[in-house]
Amino acid sequence: MSLLEGLRFTRGDSPLHRLDPRVKFLITMVIFALSIIFFDLIPLLLVFTLQIPLILVGRIWREWLKTLKGAAFLAIIIFATNLLSFYFFQGMHLTGATVEYSLTLTLRFLALITSFSLFFLTTSPDKLSLALEKARVPYEFNFAFITAIRFVPVLAEEAQTIMDAQRSRGLELDKGGFLSRIRKYIPVLLPLIVNSIRRSLELAEAMESRAFGATKDRTNFYELRMARIDYVVLIISIAVLVLAIYARLFLPPFPKVMSGIVFV
Amino acid sequence: MGRVSVEGLCYSYPNTPDLALKDVNLQIDEGEFILLTGPSGCGKTTFCRCLNGLIPHFYSGEMKGDVKIDGLSTRDHPTYELAKHAGLIFQNPDNQIFALTVEKDIAFGLENMGVPKPKMVEEIDWAMSQVGITQLRERGTHELSGGQKQRLTIASILAMRPGVIVMDEPTAFLDPVGAEKIFNVLKTLNKEHGITILLIEHRMDLAVKYCNRIIIFNEGRIVNDGRPRDIFTADATRLIGVGIPRMVELGRRLRQRGYQIEIPLDSDEAYASLSSHLRKQETLKLRGEIEDLNTFVGEYSSKPLIQLKDVTYSYSNVEALKGVSLSINRGEYVAIMGENGAGKTTLVKHFNGLLRPKGGTVTVDNVDVSTKSIATMARKVGLVFQNPDDQLFAEDVEEEISFALRNFGYEEAVIRERVDWALNLLDLERYKKSSPFILSGGERKRVALASILAWNPDVIVLDEPTVGQDYGQKERLKHFLMQLRTQGKTVIIVTHDVEFVAESQPRILLMAQGKVVADGPTKRIMTDAKSLEASSVSPPEVTKLFTKLAPYGFPADVLDVDEAVELLMKKMKRGQK
Repeated sequence: MSLLEGLRFTRGDSPLHRLDPRVKFLITMVIFALSIIFFDLIPLLLVFTLQIPLILVGRIWREWLKTLKGAAFLAIIIFATNLLSFYFFQGMHLTGATVEYSLTLTLRFLALITSFSLFFLTTSPDKLSLALEKARVPYEFNFAFITAIRFVPVLAEEAQTIMDAQRSRGLELDKGGFLSRIRKYIPVLLPLIVNSIRRSLELAEAMESRAFGATKDRTNFYELRMARIDYVVLIISIAVLVLAIYARLFLPPFPKVMSGIVFV
Repeated sequence: MGRVSVEGLCYSYPNTPDLALKDVNLQIDEGEFILLTGPSGCGKTTFCRCLNGLIPHFYSGEMKGDVKIDGLSTRDHPTYELAKHAGLIFQNPDNQIFALTVEKDIAFGLENMGVPKPKMVEEIDWAMSQVGITQLRERGTHELSGGQKQRLTIASILAMRPGVIVMDEPTAFLDPVGAEKIFNVLKTLNKEHGITILLIEHRMDLAVKYCNRIIIFNEGRIVNDGRPRDIFTADATRLIGVGIPRMVELGRRLRQRGYQIEIPLDSDEAYASLSSHLRKQETLKLRGEIEDLNTFVGEYSSKPLIQLKDVTYSYSNVEALKGVSLSINRGEYVAIMGENGAGKTTLVKHFNGLLRPKGGTVTVDNVDVSTKSIATMARKVGLVFQNPDDQLFAEDVEEEISFALRNFGYEEAVIRERVDWALNLLDLERYKKSSPFILSGGERKRVALASILAWNPDVIVLDEPTVGQDYGQKERLKHFLMQLRTQGKTVIIVTHDVEFVAESQPRILLMAQGKVVADGPTKRIMTDAKSLEASSVSPPEVTKLFTKLAPYGFPADVLDVDEAVELLMKKMKRGQK
């Protein structure tokens, strides 16, 4: 789960945190596009390394490293399967080109992970919901989204308490075979589900008591307003994208770095 | 604003024939502070749901009669309109906080009503300053303490400017000092802004001095309604088994014995009315030292059963226990008290190995807990959690109680015998085949307790056993704990309930910020003002009174009404009959 751990927002303050979520989403999409349109090592290395200053600006390098650590296993699998399949299909030959290609794919994966981290680690769910609202996603969906996030820590705590309560009654969750272990989770899951149903009823009561649905024209306490820096970043991002597409379509392809080398 | 009128209100929930409310009639005026009480299941909560139209709009079922808030009939107006007139605050703050930050949560109701931003900012600032959480404005809601969360829920309702605020046991999970803070917030709102307050509470001793009217429910009806002094001395109230505030009880008993004194509501009033009947006196001592109760009750022995040495524990980044050393003997009765977050629950989770100390050692019966599995330790130390809903899962009560026995590998015949024994002990036989989910709160609590007692552990640890329990249930619990002690069990409770402790007199461990700050018999701890303050515990009313009466030659360490009456009678002038 550490891969997802890295995507969890923690409160912080930095120029990146303050950036309009829509602009930030655009950055992520531009990086996404860049990683997709290129197939060569050099541009992907560029895409990857160019994100590092952003990570530093956002002061999220610690969380980012955690994400990378979580992604490492998957990255290795991507690298290994590519390399091995080339190796076997090309008649037990391992050339520099295939190593370079596998490396490129792995790097693409890491660049994508990083771009998502950049977005989710620096965007509070509140702002995300505002952005969704601006994108005309109905408020009910937005509310459900925020509520889900709000209750993650509450549910986690409750699950822990239930597990403790059942362990105190002699339930040994980590003993036995696979199937019997799954069965052992019933005494944990059942109270969790029943409590959740009960909770949802209480939540609905509390929502009613807070005039939920009183008017179609809800107002919003947090508002999104594009500042000058947002426009600047917006223009830079679009320029980068245009430039990249131009380079991809009209410039000669990037040189291969390892094409001369033959390993086996 | 703030007027309520109820006429001929009857209500039954869908799919049940029983009436939850039976012909309730009531007038509430602007600016009243009302305490609503009665035994569990008496209809108080149902009544509150009628006040902002949750009944009949959210709950179907059958409603007769009329409820009007500020002249608006709840039948004709939807809840979102009534919410501006009557604000409901529920027991569990977690289930009514919707946003991720404090200010945004207060904004939620205003957003729903379509209040424009500048006005919204104004209202939020006002609401935060009223309940004293302005400095928490941008804090994440999940980082707040229990007391802060409860204050946030008040602010969130307050921002919508209702004339009536209705709260359902807002302080059930708070330490006495935290509870008092909440009551003071309500008092300010009532006094300074004329907001009508309707408060459901079981803890009369804490709440009685704030209100000017008490309404008592029983079996869906209002059985008594009036000024606190009259209500608590009336026979109708006493018969239902509502907790009578200790000071009222003291005053009543003295009057019965012929002393003409005004019935007091709290220790300040009691002091005022008693001091005129007493003469100052420095030296007289009215009784010798009373010995520790532990020496008479149960098979108390001096053999240590649970021993902790320098135990430290920390959750990912919070230090919860900072070097706790203690020793609990076989057969002892111990109460662990202290502010919210002091580490009480963390501490007891070490007794059966749920948590392993990060430093130091825990031994139970000379066995190092860290070397054994939880299941092994749990057979010695039964831990009953606060909320029964965190453990009930089985199809029927019988299966629920046999769950642990099966886990421990008892034989079928033994299991049947133990289950019957436990059912009988807690008076649950008739529910043997019922689903635990359909039982009432108090019954569920008893099933949870039975499911632990079934395997007859030497030590029984109860986490907050009195939370949400009415007076009768607490009395039964008190007797039950005594019964366990006479069987030689070691009983440990974690609690905020000083009155419960004062009347059962355990050894008290006071905790504050991950440390034990005081340890000793109830009488000593309850007069140790410094340690009590450090751990946010306030002494019981009787002790507060006797601390004030010290110049009159009384000992301070008086805990219960019986002893208080006896002592007072020895010194009071009988003249004013």
